[in-house]
Amino acid sequence: MRHDFIDKYGHLDSPVHRLDPRMKIVTAFTGIVVIVTEPLSADPAHFLLYLALVTAVVSVTRLPVTYLVRRLLLVSPFILMAALFYPLSVFISRKEFFAANQEAILTAGAAILMKSLLAVLLLVLLSSTERFHRLLMALRRLRVPAIITTVSALLYRYIFIIADEALKSSRARDSRTPGKLRTGRIGVIGNQVAVIFLRSWERSRIVYQSMLSRGFSGEFPDMVDMHLRTADIVFPLLFIALLIAVRLII
Amino acid sequence: MHISDGIISTPVCLTATAAAIGLVYLTGRRATTEEIPRMGITGAALFVASLIHFPVAGTSIHLGLFGIAGIILGRRSFPVVFTALLFQALIFQHGGLLTLGVNAINMGTGAFMAWIIWRITAIPEYARAALAGFTGIIVPALLMIAEFRITGYGSAVAVIALIYIIAALIEGGITLSAVVFFRKVKPDILANPVLNCKHEKVYGDD
Repeated sequence: MRHDFIDKYGHLDSPVHRLDPRMKIVTAFTGIVVIVTEPLSADPAHFLLYLALVTAVVSVTRLPVTYLVRRLLLVSPFILMAALFYPLSVFISRKEFFAANQEAILTAGAAILMKSLLAVLLLVLLSSTERFHRLLMALRRLRVPAIITTVSALLYRYIFIIADEALKSSRARDSRTPGKLRTGRIGVIGNQVAVIFLRSWERSRIVYQSMLSRGFSGEFPDMVDMHLRTADIVFPLLFIALLIAVRLII
Repeated sequence: MHISDGIISTPVCLTATAAAIGLVYLTGRRATTEEIPRMGITGAALFVASLIHFPVAGTSIHLGLFGIAGIILGRRSFPVVFTALLFQALIFQHGGLLTLGVNAINMGTGAFMAWIIWRITAIPEYARAALAGFTGIIVPALLMIAEFRITGYGSAVAVIALIYIIAALIEGGITLSAVVFFRKVKPDILANPVLNCKHEKVYGDD
């Protein structure tokens, strides 16, 4: 299976890629908070302005537009469902209320859609302008507990190895149960799940012993150099200030 | 089941985030160095195995496996679920940053409840396993409905529960068959060894 898509674009070089990962995390998080706390009755123009601001940042990252669109499309069914469900659920359960406030409720649905899409776009920006291990080190330096960052680092390292193993066990399952699984499907899949867990369980023991023999003390060594330059402070602050300006002033 | 940013109201997100951070602290306390790789790699397995699709009535659902996570990781399943969600939000934009707490509370509580059920030894083992699998899905679904209701969605969101009941029943069956398999092949995985790591010999145990 393909393993390169995780931080495929983390190696590009652009002003955004060069920013300090800590500032990028803080900026993405603050940006999401500013956008998401917009009331459901917010002026749709706000969302267009946010989109313009985020697009401006995207344009300097040199990320391919098709890639961004694909990432957005991948999660949009869930977002679309939640956004549609809002007016729909009000319509079904409170018909009179819906009839009286039709426009407001539909605007609220659209606001949910826009807020979610913008938040996803910011997350895509964050994860595709930085290599993952640097993001983890930045999280660690932002005082996220070591248990979270170390387990994340292991997840990142082992997900694809285990995915390959799962693929093998799927092939084995299919070759033993040709065609559609008709009877005992739950049992077969349960066994397959158990095999995946067992193998990873065994593997974790071996990994632990080799980590110990290399001097593992509970945390991966921090070997990333991070220095805040003027640009690391000015550009994120400017971006956040503009978002807040849209939110509060316009 | 992953809720994206912007869908649930901010006060709910903030409350859930505070609760999730507190629970990560409580359930992740005093983790030994041996548990860290076990949590990471079993977490990866949890993530991969949950991508297996299961055909139901013309469509397909994917597994959650919070029941199995609760059974084999015990209380450590909460930080593992939390971390897996952070990973998914950052890498796949599945879920969100502000809703990380909400999603962690939903799914982590599912795994945690499954573990509590698994510890009630008065119930026969296989019934416990099926019940843990069922709980691992239905608890997150009920919490999710509650959060949608608080946000202002109409009571019609409760139909989600109907969909998840089917998923939870299937999950119960899968958890049961996985536990039968573990019992046959490697019974000590069911004894919650993560919590007993401290007492395990590090070298030469096989």
